[in-house]
This record gives sequence, structure tokens and C-alpha cells, in this order.
Amino acid sequence: MTAPVAMNPTDRLSGLRRAKRVLAFVAPLLALAVVWLGMFAFAPGFGAWDNQRLILTQAAIVAAAAIGATIVIIAGGIDLSVGSAVALVTMFIALLLNRGAGPLVAVLGGIAAGGVVGLLIGGLVVGWVLPRLPLSPFIVTLALWGALRGVAKGIGGNQPIYVSESAGESNMGWLPWLMNGSDSGLLHEIVPAVWLVAACGLAVTLVLNRTILGRRAFAIGGNEHAARICGVPVPATKFMLYGLAGLCTGLAGVLQFSFVPQGDPTAAQGLELKVIAAVVIGGASLSGGAGSVLGTLAGILIMTIVDNGCTKLRLDNWVQEIVTGGIILIAVAVDRLRLRAQRAGTS
Amino acid sequence: MNMPTPRRTTLGVLGLLLAGAVGFAAAPPERKTIAVIPKGTTHVFWKSVEAGAKKAGEDLGVNIIWKGPMTENDRAQQVQLVQQFVSEKVDALVLAPLDHKALVQPVKAATAKNIPVIIFDSALEGQAPKDFASFVATDSEKAGALGGDHLKTLMGGKGDAIILRYLAGSASTDSREKGAITAITAITAGKAGKAIKMISDNRYGGATSAEAKTAALNMLDDIKKAGGVFCPNESTTLGMLLALRQAGLAGKIKFVGFDASPPLVEALKKGEIDALVVQDPRGMGYKAVEAAVKVLRGEKVDARIDTGAVLVTKDNLAKPEIKALIE
Repeated sequence: MTAPVAMNPTDRLSGLRRAKRVLAFVAPLLALAVVWLGMFAFAPGFGAWDNQRLILTQAAIVAAAAIGATIVIIAGGIDLSVGSAVALVTMFIALLLNRGAGPLVAVLGGIAAGGVVGLLIGGLVVGWVLPRLPLSPFIVTLALWGALRGVAKGIGGNQPIYVSESAGESNMGWLPWLMNGSDSGLLHEIVPAVWLVAACGLAVTLVLNRTILGRRAFAIGGNEHAARICGVPVPATKFMLYGLAGLCTGLAGVLQFSFVPQGDPTAAQGLELKVIAAVVIGGASLSGGAGSVLGTLAGILIMTIVDNGCTKLRLDNWVQEIVTGGIILIAVAVDRLRLRAQRAGTS
Repeated sequence: MNMPTPRRTTLGVLGLLLAGAVGFAAAPPERKTIAVIPKGTTHVFWKSVEAGAKKAGEDLGVNIIWKGPMTENDRAQQVQLVQQFVSEKVDALVLAPLDHKALVQPVKAATAKNIPVIIFDSALEGQAPKDFASFVATDSEKAGALGGDHLKTLMGGKGDAIILRYLAGSASTDSREKGAITAITAITAGKAGKAIKMISDNRYGGATSAEAKTAALNMLDDIKKAGGVFCPNESTTLGMLLALRQAGLAGKIKFVGFDASPPLVEALKKGEIDALVVQDPRGMGYKAVEAAVKVLRGEKVDARIDTGAVLVTKDNLAKPEIKALIE
């Protein structure tokens, strides 16, 4: 540090820290702006409002799942099973609809199913499901990654479940409207799914930053041992956090069903990796204790914009995969550099 | 302040990436643009479709965008691609739907925006030309009948035959099996009352050739009684071949299979397989784009276009037009 030493050192430090915190907060948004501007400049037709509308819509499913993953990752955990859980939720919704449930019941049932899966993960992680045998979230969710998809396939006998029709009218009612939007007006320009995800993101942000549960999540992710010594009820907190994340996964499942209206056991394969990439691009640390919903959302938009723009640029799939990989790598490298700078700054 | 600014580095590198990406960008389109969306991009089958589609684009003077889902068999991604090309207002869409229902709504939306859609390879619910302009695909029942008829001829119109089916609920192979069975058991003209009997027609081979081999070994008793065997796709044909080899029956029983892959063509050369029914993916890609161009020019197109299948035997294997299909 070659900064002048004239002023009060503590003042200087706190000012620097604040600047860094702001930077960490703003960086994903800046990167988002750069990617957007780049595509706007070079990809023909990228800037049209119709296309912006499409990008927001297409980001919604991953965003819902990633908001949940942000909670989990901040608390030092990980969820590899989210794609399988989404597939299971779509199957469950299709089953409910075919048993005569209305769309509202199906939606709430789907979200609840996600929550139950979340609680199952939490219970396994803290050692409540298998008594006194806490397991690492990586292992638990790796097991569920396969098992949940297996259940989804079993429910449908290896086939998708199509929603039946009664009297020519589909039983799913307004469910597709969530992702398709109205024919005109505000809910056409920005579809209901995007509003739902925004509300979900706001709620989770409030939980993370304004409640004891949120404080405890950061504390556990930062240093679990220290948190325990300070009296944080670690198992109960983790259990609740995974349950909360599960509700977000449930919402992702609902939106997936709205987008492709059938129970599909092969849906959302690889979603878990997209979600983790988005959370990391958004500035969260995979070792826990840092991250924000806003950053995650920026991360998702970056990836969606890259997908969309690469198609507009007529790039082959393999080029697009390399570009996406490059962006993830850069984001993580930058995170490392920031941490190093931070340590140098505080020592 | 002279702090290291990693953020600026990111932005710089991101910028570079973008600049690199732009280097690949195509010239601005002046000609009509047709987006072709396959089910996937890595299988050999789709590579041939791509070659055919691009050839048609060259011949007919239109730009072809070839773009499949990033993950093979991802319905949601295919829906996204259709939506994106519709919002981009391409002139026409050529689509091989991953699901006969999931793609109905997006295709309707395209048709509503006056973007003609050609469905190819696999069926979509709905009627041409109301819901989409045309359906371009192999007529599976005809293709199956082509193979079945050949098997009947090889068997001299008498004796017992068996079929190893593929998967329950797979529409295209169901039709092939139906066509084949009908053709095999048909009574030959002039030989009233005499027909081939199917002594096994309800066994399924499953998704992989390993499963198909197991299934075939389980039905060895029937195979030994039969004079002829029919299989409806690549994995069942390979599984059956491996089972026949293991049982020492390869070459001793009349065998008609489906699709060409290197091991099957080898077996055909050795006389272990008598004939393979082969589709024409290149021709399918070509004809699908051709149909789209016709619609754009206001010409009439058929609601159903058959891209045909051919019978490959040891004798016609060397012909250039057959060679092109199996390589």
C-alpha cells in the first residue's frame, strides 16, 4: 500500500474497507453492464426490447434456483441436487393436476415439495435424518442428485407425464401464463415469472441482511466453529436455511413446468452447475461467508446474455461453451485477487 | 490511489473475449435467413442433417443458421431457441421437435407471427398446413415394410420369423415394427394360405445394445426355431448380432436390421447380416430446407414429405449413392 499515512490510520482503513465492500458489491453489476454493452454493440438485434424481455424470461428459472443456492453457499454449503429436484417438482405438479388439483394448489404443492426436499437435505447434513451422523452437503446432494432424478423417472415410468384435458380444456389452467405472460400490458412486457423471482429475491435479501437467521447464515459460513462457540444453534439454523433454499428450488420447478408444461424427468439436467456458476460470478465465495442475491442475479443475467448474444452472433455451441467457461474462470480469479488484496490490506 | 484493480482486469479480459467473439460473427444477412434447429448437435445423424441443410442453403441462395440445444435432449432449451429466433424475426424455421407436445405452443407462436415452420424428423401434434407448413421425415411404416418385405423374400415366403422390438412408446420404431410385421406376414400372391408366422413379436430390446443383447440371448430358443429375424433400429440390430455370434448362429439365419454403423456394415460385408434399412439424414436436411424455401417463395408444398429409406445389401454396398448414406 503506497497510500499517504498522514491521516488517522483507523479512519483510512475503514474508508478503504468501505470502498472495497462497495466495489465487491458493484463489481458483478459492472461486469453485467460490460457484457450487455458489448453484446449491444456487436450482436445484431440484441438490443431490441423484445429480446430484452426474452432474456429476463429465460433467466427466471435459473434465477429462482440460484437465489436458493445463494443462501446455501453463504452458509458454507452446496447443493448439487437442484436440477434433479426441479425435475421431481415438475413431475409432482403434473401428478397433482392429473388428480384434479387446480393450478393454485399445484403451484403451492410444487413449492412445498421443493421445501420438503430442502429439509431432507438439511436433515441429512446436520445429522437429524441419520441420527448423530452429520454428512457433508457435497456428499448428501451428490447422492440426491441421482436419487431424486431416479424418483422422478420412477413416478412417470421413465416417461414424461402429460397433463390430461377435460372437455377440451387443459387442467393446468393459468400455469403456462406465468412464463408466457399476458397478451399485452405490463404482464406482457415483463412476465409474471420475473415478478415472482424478483419478489423472491427481495424476500431472501431481507432474510439474509435483516434477520437473525441471515446473520447466523453468514456467521456459520464464515467460521462454523466460532459461530458455535458464540452460541449460534448451528444444526437448527442450517436445517431452516436448506428448507428455505428448497422453497426457492420449488419455485424454479413451478416456473420450469410453466415453461414446458409437462412433468419431465429429464428436465433441468446440469442446472446445478449453471446455478453454482452464477452464484460464483455474482461474487459469493464457495468457502462460505460471502455473497449476495443481487450479485447472483447479475451472474445469471451475464450467463443468459452470453447465451443469447452468442446465438445472435451465430457462434457454434462449442465456442459458446468456451466463452461461458472463460467468464466463470475470470470471475473466480478476480474473487481470489480481491481476497488477497483484502488480507494484505488488513494485516 | 495506486491499488491493484483486479476489476479493471476482468473488464479488460471480458472485453477481449467479446472482441474475439465478434471476430467469428457472420456477415450481415441480405438474403433470406432460415434457422434450422435439430434435436442435438453431436450425433453423427445430425451432422449429416446439417450437411444436407447447408447444401440446400447454398443451392437455393438462403442463409442457414444451424443451432441446436446446448445439452442434447433439453426440451426447455429448444423452446428457448425457437422463441429467440422468432423474436429475431428469421424468415423461416426448420425444427426437429424433441417432444411432440412441448414444442406445440412455441411453434404456434411462430406461425402467428407469420414465420413459416417446417417440422422434420419427428412428429409434432397438430395438422399441416394449419399449425405448421409441412412435415418432412422418413415414413417409418414404409421403411419398416421395406425391410420386412425383403426378409419375407429371403425366407421364401414360409417358415417362422421373430422381431426384437426397441422401446415401448417410441413412436418412430413402433411404426417401423408395425410396417415390418405387416409385410413379413403378408400372404404372397399366388401362394394362397401360406404365410410366415411371427413366433415372437412382443420382446423389447431396451435403450442400449447391451440390453438388447441380453434380451436376444433370453429368446435364443425362439431364434433357433425361426428362419428369419428383424430388428427396428441400431441398438437392437447390434445387440441381436452380438447374441447370434455368441450362439454361433450368425450367418445361418436370415437377418434384416435397421440403421448403419461401422460394426453393422462390417457384419453386412461378412454376410452375418443380410440387409440394413438405412434412412437418409442428409436428404432429410436438404428437403426440409427446400420445403421452407418453397413456402417463402409462395409455392405449394405437400403437407407430408417422405425422405425415404433404402435397403443396403452386400451387393449394392459399393454403389456411390449407397456409400454416401452409410459413411
